[in-house]
Amino acid sequence: MELHGVQKWYGDLHVLQDIDLTVTRGEVVVVIGPSGSGKSTLCRTINRLETVDEGQILVDGKELPQEGKALAAHRADVGMVFQSFNLFAHKTILENVTLGPIKVRKMPKADAEALAKDLLERVGVAHQAAKYPAQLSGGQQQRVAIARALAMEPKVMLFDEPTSALDPEMIKEVLDVMVRLAQRGMTMIVVTHEMGFARTAANRVVFMADGQIVETADPESFFTNPQSDRAKDFLGKILKH
Amino acid sequence: MSLEAILDNLDEFFKAFGYTLFLFLVTAVASLILGTILVAMRVGPIAVLRVLGSVYVTLVRNTPLVLIFIFFHFAAPIIGINFKWVQVHIGTFDFTSAFATAFVALSLYTACFVCEGLRSGVNAVPMGQAEAARAIGLPFLGVMREVILPQAVRASVPPVASALIAMLKNTSVAGVFFLAEATATMRGLTNDYSSQRIGIFLCFAVGYIVLVEIVSMISLALERRWRIA
Amino acid sequence: MRLRKAFAAGAAGIAIAAGLAACGDAGNDSEGRDVEAADDCDGKFDEGTRMAELAEAGKITVGVKYDQPGLGFKGATDDVPSGFDVEVAKLLVADLCIDPASSNVTWEETISDNREPYLESGKVDVVLASYSITDDRRKVVGQTGPYMVTGQQILVKEDSDVAGIEDLKGKEVCSVTGSTSLENVKAKGAKGVGADSYSECAEKVLDGTYAAMSTDGSILAGLAAQNEGQLKVVGDEFSEERIGVGYSKDHPEMCEWINGVLEKAFDDGSWAEAFELTLGPSGVETPEPPELDACQ
Repeated sequence: MELHGVQKWYGDLHVLQDIDLTVTRGEVVVVIGPSGSGKSTLCRTINRLETVDEGQILVDGKELPQEGKALAAHRADVGMVFQSFNLFAHKTILENVTLGPIKVRKMPKADAEALAKDLLERVGVAHQAAKYPAQLSGGQQQRVAIARALAMEPKVMLFDEPTSALDPEMIKEVLDVMVRLAQRGMTMIVVTHEMGFARTAANRVVFMADGQIVETADPESFFTNPQSDRAKDFLGKILKH
Repeated sequence: MSLEAILDNLDEFFKAFGYTLFLFLVTAVASLILGTILVAMRVGPIAVLRVLGSVYVTLVRNTPLVLIFIFFHFAAPIIGINFKWVQVHIGTFDFTSAFATAFVALSLYTACFVCEGLRSGVNAVPMGQAEAARAIGLPFLGVMREVILPQAVRASVPPVASALIAMLKNTSVAGVFFLAEATATMRGLTNDYSSQRIGIFLCFAVGYIVLVEIVSMISLALERRWRIA
Repeated sequence: MRLRKAFAAGAAGIAIAAGLAACGDAGNDSEGRDVEAADDCDGKFDEGTRMAELAEAGKITVGVKYDQPGLGFKGATDDVPSGFDVEVAKLLVADLCIDPASSNVTWEETISDNREPYLESGKVDVVLASYSITDDRRKVVGQTGPYMVTGQQILVKEDSDVAGIEDLKGKEVCSVTGSTSLENVKAKGAKGVGADSYSECAEKVLDGTYAAMSTDGSILAGLAAQNEGQLKVVGDEFSEERIGVGYSKDHPEMCEWINGVLEKAFDDGSWAEAFELTLGPSGVETPEPPELDACQ
């Protein structure tokens, strides 16, 4: 997946400035940076929940479709996990996971349910399958959201601050699932503040500030020897605690 | 207070409310369907349909219902639109031009209010629900059908029920447009039995109150049933 | 004044020609009769009667219809209503030594539903509003007369084969919602459909939705005249409506007085003159004066 010269404005605000980024198959890229640096926006442009004003986004060498069926098909191949989970409030946990396979992949209901149960098992919430999202804790909901995305057998997974809305004791259960996913070779782009995750699971760290990619490095060298002043400043602030 | 006028004409009383009820039921179904299509147009991604939807709602909602009736009864026939061909007879009920015209006028009118009620429901569904649905690859109609509308419908039960209750009472407009529904029949009876006017009036008022109360109770039951989920 | 009325009538004619149902109620282009107030009221009525009170006060409120051309009709630009009901009312008013043309007479609109309530509450003193005499109404108000007897007929398209109400069994026949005419049509085996006004019914007969409409022959004659060559009145009169004067039950003494004034009008030709002036133009022949009911 490649982004070339991507630009985006919100009115006068230049939220993405000339972004170039290439992610290869099986790679885990963690995007970090201060709030408002454009990292979430970047993540959302990849499945076109946000449009871009200039530049190209290529997936498997093909340009991102603009709309219609092709765009829907593209989104089906890109899993997305949101900060606020966004589980379908009116559907059970099991239905949340089977909706995509049945309606988009046209999988028979029985197969979809078998797949969903398997995935819910993997993320550790299988026994909650009949409940509704509101009856689950945040950590459980986010793990269901990951299962929902995985049920589409995506080529790449996008995580948009998946742990930011969680109570501290639930963060680990979600990160554990993500680490296992990374270990199994899933291509992942993760926007997060979790430096621990970046260290353990990332192949590459992308540091963004003010709508620009300031620095790209492997985790070890980024955390021990950041090159840019912005990155030093940022790391200095968060690592003090 | 004497109720002979009603007791001697019970068959007419019930037939009158029969027309009112039939008209309400078919109009409710049609305006719910049409209102759903309109709301899909109004919140959908296609600009032309969005404009069409909002123009329709603005135009029809801002027109007095009586004018819509007059249009279909006296103007539309001039340009060749009429409902003379409707000839359905069930038992002692005649569903002809007057019923068909009332059905069309009321449905087109009520659909606007159903649409706006549903739209308030759609607006009440958090943005993230639509994003998550799009993110798993559902196309617009799938997003609407599977995720947005089921939740929007729950939030719109009270406003849509209000629209339908208003429509139930609006069926009385058909009474001066050739349909022998409850209000028209009441006026016939008060003319024949002037001395029992108050009793007749109260009986018909009670008839309407009972019908409206049934609709409100169904709406409340739906609200309760869907609340937990 | 005459010029303005003629112009208004012409405008109404154009509106009808344009096929606008709502404008179909043509104004009556006659001025109405000049009825001079009597001046013999000192001691004419017994002390304590309602007539004496009204004559003393010099003011009266009359309930009439505003929407029935030829009987009681008030166009948007008219100052006072016109029609046969109004002409008869003028005779009663004048007998009380009140000038019918003056502002001492209030012409209150009484629709079918509020005639009895208005009489009972005293909001109007008498009602002359195409007010059929029925036993049921006599339970709540006083009614006397009749000053006119009309019969219900049917109006069909010029090319229709329908010859009378008996040809319309099971068919839809139009009249005004809540009117006696509509009930009569149903009693004859036709299916009654109710409209807001007679001109709306005529519109629907013209466009072929309904085979016929029905009400008093005089009204139908007016509609047929407006749509000459397209609509015709057919069949015998199949009901009898006895149009009378309504008064409050609190003042039974008014009955003899009303009958007296009517009897005099029948005899001196003013009744026939009023009829000729108001209903004559729609092609209704002036009949013999009807027999009056005796007061109880």
